[in-house]
Amino acid sequence: MAASTSRPLEYLEGLPGTTFYKLYQQPSTALAIFRRMLPDLAKCFVMALLYLKDPLPTADLELWVQSESKKQRDNAISILARLHILSKTRTGDNVLAYMVTNPFASSLRQALVGSEDSQSFGVFSQIPGESQVSIADLDDYARQQWEGVMGYMVGTSAFSGQRELNLSKGVKQLLQAGHLVEIRDRRVDITKDGFGFVLQDVNTQVWHILILYVESAEAIGMDSVEVLSFLFLLSSLELGQSYEKKHLTSNQLRTLADLADFGIVYQDTPEATRFYPTRLATTLTSDSSALNNPITGSLTGPAGEAGGSGSGFIIVETNYRLYAYTSSPLQISLISLFTNLKYRFPNLVTGKITRQSVRRAIEIGITAEQIISYLHSHAHPQLRKHNAGHATSNTGGIPPSVLPPTVTDQIRLWQLERDRLRATAGFLFKDFTSLAEYQAPCQYAAEIGVLVWKSDKKRMFFVTRHEQVAAFLRSRNQQ
Amino acid sequence: MNSVDASEHYDLGTTDLAPSLLTIVFDTNPHAWAALNQSLPLSNAVANLLVFINAHLACNYANEIAVVASHSQKAAWLYPSQHDTPSITADRDGDVAMNGSTPAQTNKYRPFRIVEEQVTKNLKDLMDSTSSDDLRGNTSTMLAGALTLALSHINRRTIAWAEEHGGADLEDAAAEGGGSSGGPTSRAGRNSAANEDERLQSRILIVSVSGSSDSAHQYIPVMNGIFACQRLQIPIDVCKISGDAVFLQQACDATKGVYMALSEPRGFLQYLMMAFLPDQRSRRHLVLPTRVDVDFRAACFCHRRVVDIGYVCSICLSIFCEPPPNNECLTCGTILDIGDYGAKPALIPRKKKKKKRVNGTSAAGTPMSTPTPGP
Repeated sequence: MAASTSRPLEYLEGLPGTTFYKLYQQPSTALAIFRRMLPDLAKCFVMALLYLKDPLPTADLELWVQSESKKQRDNAISILARLHILSKTRTGDNVLAYMVTNPFASSLRQALVGSEDSQSFGVFSQIPGESQVSIADLDDYARQQWEGVMGYMVGTSAFSGQRELNLSKGVKQLLQAGHLVEIRDRRVDITKDGFGFVLQDVNTQVWHILILYVESAEAIGMDSVEVLSFLFLLSSLELGQSYEKKHLTSNQLRTLADLADFGIVYQDTPEATRFYPTRLATTLTSDSSALNNPITGSLTGPAGEAGGSGSGFIIVETNYRLYAYTSSPLQISLISLFTNLKYRFPNLVTGKITRQSVRRAIEIGITAEQIISYLHSHAHPQLRKHNAGHATSNTGGIPPSVLPPTVTDQIRLWQLERDRLRATAGFLFKDFTSLAEYQAPCQYAAEIGVLVWKSDKKRMFFVTRHEQVAAFLRSRNQQ
Repeated sequence: MNSVDASEHYDLGTTDLAPSLLTIVFDTNPHAWAALNQSLPLSNAVANLLVFINAHLACNYANEIAVVASHSQKAAWLYPSQHDTPSITADRDGDVAMNGSTPAQTNKYRPFRIVEEQVTKNLKDLMDSTSSDDLRGNTSTMLAGALTLALSHINRRTIAWAEEHGGADLEDAAAEGGGSSGGPTSRAGRNSAANEDERLQSRILIVSVSGSSDSAHQYIPVMNGIFACQRLQIPIDVCKISGDAVFLQQACDATKGVYMALSEPRGFLQYLMMAFLPDQRSRRHLVLPTRVDVDFRAACFCHRRVVDIGYVCSICLSIFCEPPPNNECLTCGTILDIGDYGAKPALIPRKKKKKKRVNGTSAAGTPMSTPTPGP
């Protein structure tokens, strides 16, 4: 989950406070951000504070959390502060207290109660007599479009004889702008980022594309707030329903047309008066867990054979052999990125993960984590069942892993053979005059989870973000 | 190479967090609500409860909800409706199918609205179907029936969820759900320790308004329900708006749930949001309101009276408030030999004896058998 949430979260954090103020005007946005971006504990805090009249003193909140979970608490509060959801105020008797900031609080309350007529959750199209598009058709459409995009990046559609989807120019430009592909001599070459991208699960991919879209929208003069809140609106719509277009602004209509190219929404013709969200849109704010089951199974798995419970088609054995029940050229070419394929049958390919094949993948910029998460999210239900069953019988606190641990460990080791340095962007704090002055902020940084490295001898420490540590230092200096 | 050790990867592993299923047992006993009308009318309580339900659904895309009404003469489903269950809940990704009417109201997130409509509609139907005769005859609430409905729903959803996700908990869930006659408790404990995060997180919230004297006649079925929850590791939370039910305190205590008696019923929503919204995962990090003085009294099997001191059958452990007729246990039929039960137990003064110091011999270790007091 952490991997899939981080990117949209990082993007949102970078936005200025005024953007948040505008974003939170919409109940659907508040709900989507609440649901998607916050850790469990943060959700509890927000809900507990939401209907309180007075701000909750910080001391009370600290008492509410178990003392062993201090780290989780500080992490939750730090995320809430970064998203401008929680703010500190002083109550009448000058006690520091937390409260949920206003546009967010009122919007979330509105989302829960649904009192005002804001049309924040879309307007149903109610044209009688017209035939509705079925959910299966929508899934088909979404899969076709999305695989088309993937196929364009990996370049499979050329050799497999698949029907070339005519991707619009906008899609191609977006992929290029995001450095996912490069065009050399009119040939499409996938980049390192692109390889990483295609191995991610669909939900993460969609977010990645959407963030790219919002970034590029700003460049061509669309208001990013409008686009973003439209995306959050899409995520709260219902699958299988059509929605009116006439309530949308011109920028939103433009967004809609672009999203249709990715299969995120469907419309009969660009001039149609209504649109349908597809599963790619309606599951945007779900966790990856909700997604990687039946939905993406039909999306990423072989076409026409969706169905059955569970989505996976890959079996990995402890002897590094890999069996993939698929005939999709896209999936096969993805697997071949890090596997030596041996045999290919109708509906089944087999191969072996070797040191060479993994090194080859790592050389073109794929990380071990990406390979493992790809294998994990596409693991065959049988593999899941089998390994989880074994793991429960012997391990204590360690969560059972779906893939054979020998294989995952070995893939990581093969990567480590190449990587010996890791770069982390961040900030160095140094030149503390006394040990005590050094220790307090250092400890604070560790508690909020931003500390990367420290040296007690040199009185230096390194953090990934500095705002809160700086605020902490300031507040200490004042005392 | 040293940087590759077990602790590191399992941290990094993306474990999908399972959604939670909240089953609310809502006490709709008309007598009790009529008494509460001053401080918290039923309509307000339902409105508050709906906001709470929405908040629960808002927390996670895949979170589920079920509401059972424990009415005066029967227990009934408020959500999901039993008549059209397949079309409304069966969809496995949590999408809710359309039911006939397409209201134009769009300022509300759709899943919220569907729950709200169904709950209010079913509650209204339930109230309409209650005749005055029903009310005259009965002043209590069908807690045992509602609890059983909730448990069976949880069991069904747990199995269905495990099946969909291909988890190994399928057999475990089935075995554990198979009934209290199943495996030893240590088995249940071990399984849950390993894959606590991976199965559907279920919990039950009982919103109770009826007093304890009413529910005493359901003592045995309620306790059985509680023990089933204990075995399945389902916490029972109790939000007590009025009265004070004895057995529900025990329920929370046995299942490690939250017990709260509201001192100010008007703050119902805030109590719900603060104490009852966090799911099992978050609760690990929170300090929960706990009750220290749990009332452990039981109800007797013969007259359903709540007793402090009673008679216990030595064979089946049934409790009686007075010696059963013919000295025959009502539950297992054993003929019991009841001595002079009124007498005080004979106390034998401890003998003063000097401790012999024997170096390391086994004689010191064997305790003297204490003489049994004569009848």
